[in-house]
Amino acid sequence: MAKNKFRNKSAKEVEADLVLNEDQVATPTLSRGERFRRGVRSQSGWLFVAPALILMLIFTFYPIVAAFINAFKQDYNGITGYYDGWGFSNFVHVVKGDKNSGGADFVQCLVNTLVFTFVSVPVSTILALLISVALNSIKKVQKAYQTILFLPYLTNALAMGAVFATFFTVIGTKSNTDTVGIINLILGLRNNPIKWTDKVESPVWELFNGRLNIPWAKYIVLMVYEVWSGLPFKILILFSALQSINKQYYDAAKVDGASRWTTLWRITTPMVSPQITYLLVTGIMGGMKQYSAVVGIFGEQMGLNYDMGTMVGYIYKYIEGDKTGLAFAGSLILFVIIMVITFINNRITKKHTTYR
Amino acid sequence: MKKNIEKEQIVAPENTTLQPALATADGPQTVHFEETSELDVQKELKKQKTMHIVKNVFVYIFLTFCAILAFLPFYWMVISSLKTEEEYRLAVPTFFPHTFMWKNYSAIMNQSTSSNSPTFWRMLTNTLVVGLMSTTIGVIITILTAYAFARMKFAGKNILFAIMLATMMIPGELFTLSNYLTVSSLQMRNSYTVLILPFLVSVYYIYLLRNNFMQIPNSLYQAAKVDGLSDMGYLIKVMVPLTAPTLISITLLKFIGTWNSYIWPRLVNDKQWQMMTNWVTGSFVDRGGQLYNGKYGDSDPLNTLKMAAVCMVSLPLFILFIFCRKYIMRGVSKSGTKG
Repeated sequence: MAKNKFRNKSAKEVEADLVLNEDQVATPTLSRGERFRRGVRSQSGWLFVAPALILMLIFTFYPIVAAFINAFKQDYNGITGYYDGWGFSNFVHVVKGDKNSGGADFVQCLVNTLVFTFVSVPVSTILALLISVALNSIKKVQKAYQTILFLPYLTNALAMGAVFATFFTVIGTKSNTDTVGIINLILGLRNNPIKWTDKVESPVWELFNGRLNIPWAKYIVLMVYEVWSGLPFKILILFSALQSINKQYYDAAKVDGASRWTTLWRITTPMVSPQITYLLVTGIMGGMKQYSAVVGIFGEQMGLNYDMGTMVGYIYKYIEGDKTGLAFAGSLILFVIIMVITFINNRITKKHTTYR
Repeated sequence: MKKNIEKEQIVAPENTTLQPALATADGPQTVHFEETSELDVQKELKKQKTMHIVKNVFVYIFLTFCAILAFLPFYWMVISSLKTEEEYRLAVPTFFPHTFMWKNYSAIMNQSTSSNSPTFWRMLTNTLVVGLMSTTIGVIITILTAYAFARMKFAGKNILFAIMLATMMIPGELFTLSNYLTVSSLQMRNSYTVLILPFLVSVYYIYLLRNNFMQIPNSLYQAAKVDGLSDMGYLIKVMVPLTAPTLISITLLKFIGTWNSYIWPRLVNDKQWQMMTNWVTGSFVDRGGQLYNGKYGDSDPLNTLKMAAVCMVSLPLFILFIFCRKYIMRGVSKSGTKG
């Protein structure tokens, strides 16, 4: 045994390595120095995680602590570091809003985010289910359709947002020579076009004496984009789920004389319900954080006086300048909302855990 | 009467003879069935077959419609970028450019969008440098960390891993806020470092790769140890080649992420140090009236130029998708099921 020559290491060393790897305590016959050496070597994993850990300490863990502290500094200015004692004034300011002084309104941003999310996510999920079922039922050129339908996944929200804006944008005022956008043409509104993306002239519903604005035309533009860009991922997930359903269920349904519609709602949908739940949850989480599509379509001012703002948009609005405290308070509120959604998700889908 | 026949016929597959239908015809409906002639049944069969075809036609129409809608924005983007601005602003849009305006591209590539902003080439250099650096270093860090969590044993490993996973639940904006203040106070603004450092570690990719590493049987590790390989040697010579598909997916997705990054570069850097996506959000005008002899002024942004810029940003993603479709889709569907 001892005479065996291994390529690099002696038999003893290899044996020691193996022992260490099975996490056994070093034998008591070893000297103190040897035991210490092995103890240190067994911790060499820390060396491997060190780069990631150091970066995370600076850019992940510290910011979490800092956010919780800074949100409670009154009138906090991030650049100068000035603050006026501790308290909840940031949160009060966030809820009250300061629309009159040219700022963004958190309540408006919250309502916008909720409407965008809870309309576009279910719509795109249902559409994705229908498309996947259709895709699953054909045999010819299935791959080609799948590829084309997946194309919008790999896009840049700001770039494609600009493209969607051109579908709706009205340029100029002369109805016979200027473009009113494809959508207005399709809707037959060439002479009296809706100014979908216009900063000032886009139609708005005012609610609660102007406390809340619903720029419905802008909402539609954004939600059309959201549905379009949300579809590919959902189709991908649902289609692969559909393909793994046992064909026997469908044969049985056929024998029982079930119609296509009944089959869809009584067999297909329940069979892919874990995936649907997953898509709804991730879709809602993503929707809560949407920002770049709004900027892509409506510019960095997010419409007129941030009337198309989202929660993340609110945070980034106040990150620069002297109201950093508002950004921190807003980000904590966003954090709480996301935690609540995560919690509800875990309660609903205990069997099908998606986040860990 | 007719209803009953339909019920019977569902049993029979469309392309077979009457035999199977008759074979099952000793159920409760038998009485009605006997009243119908064979001819009627065959008619029903034919009707069902046509119904099947009609339904299929509808499915294809529906899918084609969806495929067109999915593709239309890309088509519109490309043709708009090749039109002249006059043609673009026609009351009735054309679906194929009358004259190809290739100058749109040379214009946006060589002019800066406004007096203090950099040219396309500067933005491209920024993006490529940051993208390559952060992808390379990021993947190395991911491999090392994933390996430690998958194979090595050290005190506090599980707690550390749990804490790292828990950070995935926190919205990234919370980090961005403090990080912005950190780099501002450290005077690190306007550099590549500040674009690279904060996004090197991505917990999700570590998690993904760790799961992949753990699927490699332990006996391989012991065999390698017997052959005298060190931990590092085993990682490089055995584990990395075995998980190559996942690593390629991670590399691609990380690079795409950098390519699309917008908020962070805008926050921490002045225009000279920003990236491709920041360039696209600018407004593009006919600077100095070179394209249209001053017909469109400096306050009149040209959509054709903007679409050309959008094409320049989207095209690399497109090419990447065509050539690496397998890896990207695998990475995406994996992140769908999260391991």
